[in-house]
Amino acid sequence: MKLLLMGMNHRSAPLEVRERMAVDDPVPALGKLVASDEVDEAVLISTCNRVEVVVLTRELESARHRLRSFFRRDLGDTSLGERDLEGYCYVYREGEAMRHVLRVASALDSMVVGEPQILGQAKEAYRTAVECGASGPILDRLFQRAFATAKRIRTDTRIAEGPTSVARVGVGLARQIFEDLSGKRALLIGAGEMIELALTALRKEGLDSVCVANRTAERAAELAVRFDASAHGLDELPALLGDADVVLTSIGGSRPILTLDLMRQALGSRRGRPIFVIDIGVPRNADTAIDVLEEVFRYDIDDLASLATANAEGRRHELVRAEAIVSEEQQRFEGWFAALRAVPTIRHLRARVESIRAEELDRGLARLDLDDRSREGVEALTRSLVNKILHAPLSRLRSEAEREEGMAYLEVARMLFGLDDDENADESDDR
Amino acid sequence: MDALLLQLTAVVYLAAGILAGAAWVLSHAWLSRAAVVALGVGALLHGLMFSLLHTAESPPPLTDGPTAVSFMAWVGTVAFLALLWRFRLVGLVALVAPLSFIGVFYAALSPAAISSAEVGTGGLPHAHVLLASAGLALLGIAGMAGAAFLAEYRRLKRKRHLVGAPPWPSLEALDRVSALALALGFPLLTLGVVTGALWVRTLHGAPWTGSAHEAWCLLAWIVYAVLVVLRFGLGQGARRSAQSALAGFAFAGFAVIGVELLL
Repeated sequence: MKLLLMGMNHRSAPLEVRERMAVDDPVPALGKLVASDEVDEAVLISTCNRVEVVVLTRELESARHRLRSFFRRDLGDTSLGERDLEGYCYVYREGEAMRHVLRVASALDSMVVGEPQILGQAKEAYRTAVECGASGPILDRLFQRAFATAKRIRTDTRIAEGPTSVARVGVGLARQIFEDLSGKRALLIGAGEMIELALTALRKEGLDSVCVANRTAERAAELAVRFDASAHGLDELPALLGDADVVLTSIGGSRPILTLDLMRQALGSRRGRPIFVIDIGVPRNADTAIDVLEEVFRYDIDDLASLATANAEGRRHELVRAEAIVSEEQQRFEGWFAALRAVPTIRHLRARVESIRAEELDRGLARLDLDDRSREGVEALTRSLVNKILHAPLSRLRSEAEREEGMAYLEVARMLFGLDDDENADESDDR
Repeated sequence: MDALLLQLTAVVYLAAGILAGAAWVLSHAWLSRAAVVALGVGALLHGLMFSLLHTAESPPPLTDGPTAVSFMAWVGTVAFLALLWRFRLVGLVALVAPLSFIGVFYAALSPAAISSAEVGTGGLPHAHVLLASAGLALLGIAGMAGAAFLAEYRRLKRKRHLVGAPPWPSLEALDRVSALALALGFPLLTLGVVTGALWVRTLHGAPWTGSAHEAWCLLAWIVYAVLVVLRFGLGQGARRSAQSALAGFAFAGFAVIGVELLL
């Protein structure tokens, strides 16, 4: 069994490509993937910064071909060509794939290193895969290890200090446009987790007037009540934009809602006051054409990447510590994963010894005239003897299998107990 | 004593400039704060020098170019330090300190002031230089804030990050500083022009002799009058105002200093 990961993220592909590949509902795509012969288990992570699939396979090369066609045909826009795939996607195998999953969950691969949202998004992706039956015992174990690694890194390092969310980076940028955020008006478009985080960050900066506009008015109202903001529908956007100083948008939809015409209309009443648009939606909610407007400062998720990089530079020492933790956890998982190689041999050996025990027990009992109670006693005795004799060698086989050299132990065990002969015999019987 | 204080002031302003430059190169915000402290010490020494001049038995009228430039540097420095109480302008010390140094260094190197016999007596020459220099210093602050605004605007529009740099003032702060400096500087410049005309009348019997200095200064005043109307009367936007403030100060600088040197 081998791990393979294919994906694209904020470093490998521009936003225009990532937004074409965004997956709203991963269940059908995962269903198709695990239904194929090449893939045994799969988890799909799709966020605004990345689309990644990690799979368990028996044959790496055929699984890689399957994932390439999966990215071209089953995800997002089918116009992604072979050349695009080469340019924008990365492929990680086995140890590299394990490490990547651990780094993603720990926010070390995030645009804003240390940001807290990715862990929730990875958990959601894993839960979805479990619920639709795409994830199995191996990926379960990998993701549990990834979540534990993320927790350990957040506890043991200061990686999460500083502006660790896109929302907070955006708020920092707002302070470069506005001297003081108190007295300024914020308009939040959408009502998801990112918007909630932004609202918290903006409140901390003293911003006291906040409007939430959303497609579903109920969700906007719910958020507005919790944060003492006002709730609106998207039809009120022109009026709301006229008053807003900071606009933070993260709402679903394939077309931009902040168009050039809408912004021009809104700016008419502002008398040259600047407006800061932070667009963290994927696909983008604000048309890039609004950049021509003098008073508009528009930053999308990719524009925030450079700021995030600068933040990460300041925490370089913590990054080194976090990477060391990832290496440690990766080693532990690799050990467990390698030990799985011993499972067929151990299972086979147990079955063989058990069949010998059962045969000999039957033969012995046939020669003795025992009552039921005595029979049970003898059976328990043989079972106990077998378990005690096998315990030490099987434990040794398991632990040795975690190392590359451990394969020799497995081969010797199979030879000593004639397990390969059994398999050959089974195969001849089958024929 | 005055010369010594002026030289000492130049050294302290230079130290402030070096600290501010180091803050950019080494990416340490505390160096910027240290530069502000040095600038404050320089402004104190500079102010002490001017107050000592006024305690002299026959106070000089400060009408010579180098002294006027030095006075402009002092007013600009003090105005900047005062604005720091209200706005996050620490990053601007990297611009203010070198300009203050240049103003004082130029005065320290220049020959002694023109004698009072050449400029007449009474308070008018003194009032003209103090008011016009203070006005020009404030308009200089407006122009510098305008230049900083345009640089910051360009950076934010191009989405470039100032990696490790000390905190740069916000666009809003720069716009408000530019507006405030224009609002204070223009009346002072106006008073400077009026007292200048009165001074010329006491010397020549008429407020206007048609000299190049008078013509260019009047033109500069008209330019600023237009800028004030555009900004406060017609609601000119922040970016256009920044461009105007910068262009206005370049013109005024040429009218007051350039014309004297070149024409």
